[in-house]
Amino acid sequence: MSNLPEFITIQNVQKYISNRMVLDIDELVVYQSECVVVHGPNGSGKSTLLKILAGLMTPDSGVATTNGVVRPWRQAIREFRANAVYLHQTPYLFDRSVEDNIAYGLRFRNRSQSVLFSEVQSAMEWAGLSHLAKRNARDLSGGEKQRVALTRARILEPKLLLLDEPTAAMDRKSRKQTFSLIRDLASGGNAVYIATHEAADLYQPDRVIQLDYGKLVV
Amino acid sequence: MIHSLRFLLFSLAITLTLVMASANHAADGILRLATTTSTENSGLLAKLVPQFSDSRDIPVHVIAVGTGRALNHARNGDVDVVLVHAKNAELDLVNSGFGIERYEVMYNEFVIAGPETDPAEISGLSNLGTAFEKIANSGALFVSRGDDSGTHKKERQIWDEVDIEPNGDWYKEVGLGMGRSLQIADELRAYILTDKGTWLALKRKLSLPVHVQGASDGRNDYGIIAVNPEKHSHVNIEAAEQFIDWIQSDEAKAVISGHKVEGEQLFYVIE
Amino acid sequence: MDGLIGASAEALRLLFTGDREIWEIVAISFSVSFRAILYIVPLAILSAFALAYGNFPGRRVLITIVNALVALPAVVVGLLLYMLLSSSGPFGGWRLLFTQGAMIIGQMILAFPLLVAMIHVSLQGVDLSAWQTARTLGASIFRAMFTIMREVRFGLIAAIVAGFGRVVSEVGCSIMVGGNILHHTRNIPTAIALETSKGEFEQGIALGAVLITLALALNFAVATVRGRDMARH
Repeated sequence: MSNLPEFITIQNVQKYISNRMVLDIDELVVYQSECVVVHGPNGSGKSTLLKILAGLMTPDSGVATTNGVVRPWRQAIREFRANAVYLHQTPYLFDRSVEDNIAYGLRFRNRSQSVLFSEVQSAMEWAGLSHLAKRNARDLSGGEKQRVALTRARILEPKLLLLDEPTAAMDRKSRKQTFSLIRDLASGGNAVYIATHEAADLYQPDRVIQLDYGKLVV
Repeated sequence: MIHSLRFLLFSLAITLTLVMASANHAADGILRLATTTSTENSGLLAKLVPQFSDSRDIPVHVIAVGTGRALNHARNGDVDVVLVHAKNAELDLVNSGFGIERYEVMYNEFVIAGPETDPAEISGLSNLGTAFEKIANSGALFVSRGDDSGTHKKERQIWDEVDIEPNGDWYKEVGLGMGRSLQIADELRAYILTDKGTWLALKRKLSLPVHVQGASDGRNDYGIIAVNPEKHSHVNIEAAEQFIDWIQSDEAKAVISGHKVEGEQLFYVIE
Repeated sequence: MDGLIGASAEALRLLFTGDREIWEIVAISFSVSFRAILYIVPLAILSAFALAYGNFPGRRVLITIVNALVALPAVVVGLLLYMLLSSSGPFGGWRLLFTQGAMIIGQMILAFPLLVAMIHVSLQGVDLSAWQTARTLGASIFRAMFTIMREVRFGLIAAIVAGFGRVVSEVGCSIMVGGNILHHTRNIPTAIALETSKGEFEQGIALGAVLITLALALNFAVATVRGRDMARH
């Protein structure tokens, strides 16, 4: 399958929502620094899979293997949370300035104010957001919002970045900008999982996995 | 989100601790006196209580409610001493062991007030029972406290004595204190049985003159009873006994006799 | 209506000449209600979060119960609390009856459902994605709560103001468990009830004026802060 080192493996993962099975995966190996498109129609379980990998959702059954150790899900979920960042299809931006939004996650890590400031500045430059730094994030356009969300995630340097339909409901120009940011992110040595129902090759992925009715289709 | 339930319990514990800490000054040494609105509203207690509490350094908390509730507080052990006016109910408290002994303190008077036109023609009668009969037969309106207070108990007793079961459109049970009941009687132009003190205090705001006073059956005795520490061990019995001794002293009697509302003496000490 | 005008004029005189008894009653009212709200708000916020984002059986039933309890009459709370705190009741040993402590507990119970219901509504105004975003960006549960509280700050303030308004004006519970004791548990509403029964309408109106002024001041303050924020956008 891949020569890349293994990062996380999940096995026998099942998730029910209101008594309906929405996800049923025998095995999925997440390799370090690969770009994967999770493809499937609406309601096929893409978001659920990404949220489980983000540690935002707990499956009803399943085990996870990290660093070669099989862990109970409670421990694994910490590992997921520490290493993964999940981006919603419609990103939620906090009711504060763009730079405060981008700095949000960084504030939970030990950084001096000056280091934090310069990291935020360079991240905004990377995404072409510098001119919007003081604006309230709520007032931005859809494309700008998605870029703020991407920058806010990237600055944390997560080992696994989970993007849920990142370019849905976006105009052509914003899509182009967003694609190039995502490709840039994917080449940075971290794993990127992108859920989409659009054509997978838009993202030039290393691998495509297909979900149908919650099951992986090989 | 399982954590959140744990946080919730944690915060509940913090909340309770805060409350207990803030509330823990449930001060001891306080004397709790349950009494009727008539003694409080007439201003008598405001004169009596400071004289007692200042000279002995015993803070007195006055809880003014209807006689029925005051006696209930005593039975439940929520107060140390009661000063009320419903002799039979007071004796019940003593006989059931919740009160130690009943001491006579003072008396005032029940009067009947009513509309100036006096449609039931009771003016000048010297007996409350006779007046009640005339009111019931005239069809004039009558306002009853209806709150199991001392005044209400007295009113029921008079109806019993003249063998009338008051009901119908003319009989209005309002379930309120004396002051509010008088105001309602005034608005409705109805007759009402009232203690003279509350009537005097409100006299200038009402057009509801007294028609029957000095009646042979109008005397209203106030008794004082300490709550029995054998039933409720936390009762501040020393302070309660000091207060009972003091209220029967010459000093207190002078205050009671000297207390005037609208120039009239309200309470008479029992020798 | 000579009576009303005369009483109002006298009420103003009482207030502005700094009638000590009136201002003491006002102070007791504020101190009791302020502490009640202060103590219960953290629990109310946590409960609202649990109801909004929690995933446990009976959640919907609990929301319905909380909403129903908003309408709980103060006297009912007073009566139940009286029975619990009475010396003959299960918690009589605490000796809390007829103290400010008892009033505070009563007002906490009264404020709780209103606070939870209002905060819960504000939280529902924020998408679940807000919570998930804070969490996935590394916020602990507590930090995430503070983030969301900041997002719904106006709803939160409105809930607290409404809760304070509910308890500072309630009479049924305070009179029942506080006993309306002068200098100790006589607050604005119980004093108004007493003064009215004595026919002392001036005092009643004066105290009512303090309550209304307070309510206006609080609501203007909230509206101003909110308006300033709206203007920023």
